[in-house]
Amino acid sequence: MNKELEHSFVELLEKHQNIVHKVCRLYTNNYDAHNDLFQEITIQLWKAYPKFRGDAKFSTWMYRVGLNTAITLYRKSKRTIKTQDFEGVSFKIKAEDYDDTKDVQLKTLYKAVHQLNDIEKALVFLYLEDKDYREISETLGISEVNARVKMNRIKTKLRTILNP
Amino acid sequence: MDELDILKKDWNKQPSDQNKVSIKDIYTMLHKKSSSIVKTLFYISIAELLFWILINTIPYFTSDTFKAQLDAVYTNDYIFTGITVFSYAVILIFIYLLYKSYKSISVTDNSKKLMESILKTRKIIKYYVLYNLIMAGISLLIGLYFALHHDPEAVKIIDNLDKNGIVLFTAFAIFFTIVFILVIWLFYRLIYGFLLKRLNRNYKELKKLEI
Repeated sequence: MNKELEHSFVELLEKHQNIVHKVCRLYTNNYDAHNDLFQEITIQLWKAYPKFRGDAKFSTWMYRVGLNTAITLYRKSKRTIKTQDFEGVSFKIKAEDYDDTKDVQLKTLYKAVHQLNDIEKALVFLYLEDKDYREISETLGISEVNARVKMNRIKTKLRTILNP
Repeated sequence: MDELDILKKDWNKQPSDQNKVSIKDIYTMLHKKSSSIVKTLFYISIAELLFWILINTIPYFTSDTFKAQLDAVYTNDYIFTGITVFSYAVILIFIYLLYKSYKSISVTDNSKKLMESILKTRKIIKYYVLYNLIMAGISLLIGLYFALHHDPEAVKIIDNLDKNGIVLFTAFAIFFTIVFILVIWLFYRLIYGFLLKRLNRNYKELKKLEI
């Protein structure tokens, strides 16, 4: 791959890295796993980059590759050190600022979202990113109606988790 | 306002400097190895191809007795050449199918399609293994048949067996075949089950949405 391509990719990713961090935050529960998934998404983005056409927004394209890596391709590598599962009372993570939410209500909400399954998390992620149902359905490969129905079910599920 | 909307408000406020990676970090990451399941699946399929090719050819080249026996059994050169050509053609077809299947796996497809392409690739490997198992079974049977009919020592043993002995012998042969297949089947369940557990679960979840 030529240097120019590599350079443009690295710059774009650096600028939009927050999207990847958000995916990692949703799908991992400790600092090491976060970094590991971040790395895998970066590799997948880079591998797919030569085929990236400017007609799609770089960020939109990142959502797809990021989520696909998280729910399909990613296999926990040996690099990952199991620190603590989410089921525990709090995160025991290397970087103390991994969980920055001070608000108790928000903390509980994040915790509830972590209990959803991979597909539900993907829907929640796109919803939080303000994507419409058309984009959600296109990213996951389901119909718009089903995306809507599922989203409502997820909301109910979250409510049940929060108020058992 | 529902729960997700509360979350949404905070979601976009996430500090961007948290865990921030530098341009230098990204450069380093680009040259690290991927640990994706597609890559693992690719290595497994290569190993699979090589394994069965070796299993099928090594005895022929290393054991003179095997070669001599094979030559004796296949007295007809045309049949032997035919079988050889056929088995290599099958291997080539599988290599082509696998190559095409890997090419069709694209991380930029939608999630469902991506999962389907991976599962299709896995299916091709499964068929290749199945083909080899069936061929192994058939060769075993043919080998047994020829041995029992042409090998004087085997014929002597069979002649000395009474009716019960033959039943026992057959039962024994069937038992071993079943155990052999079971072990290989379990082995594959373990490899692929372990590798594709998460993918299968997520694929089922997506399929469930269609009902």
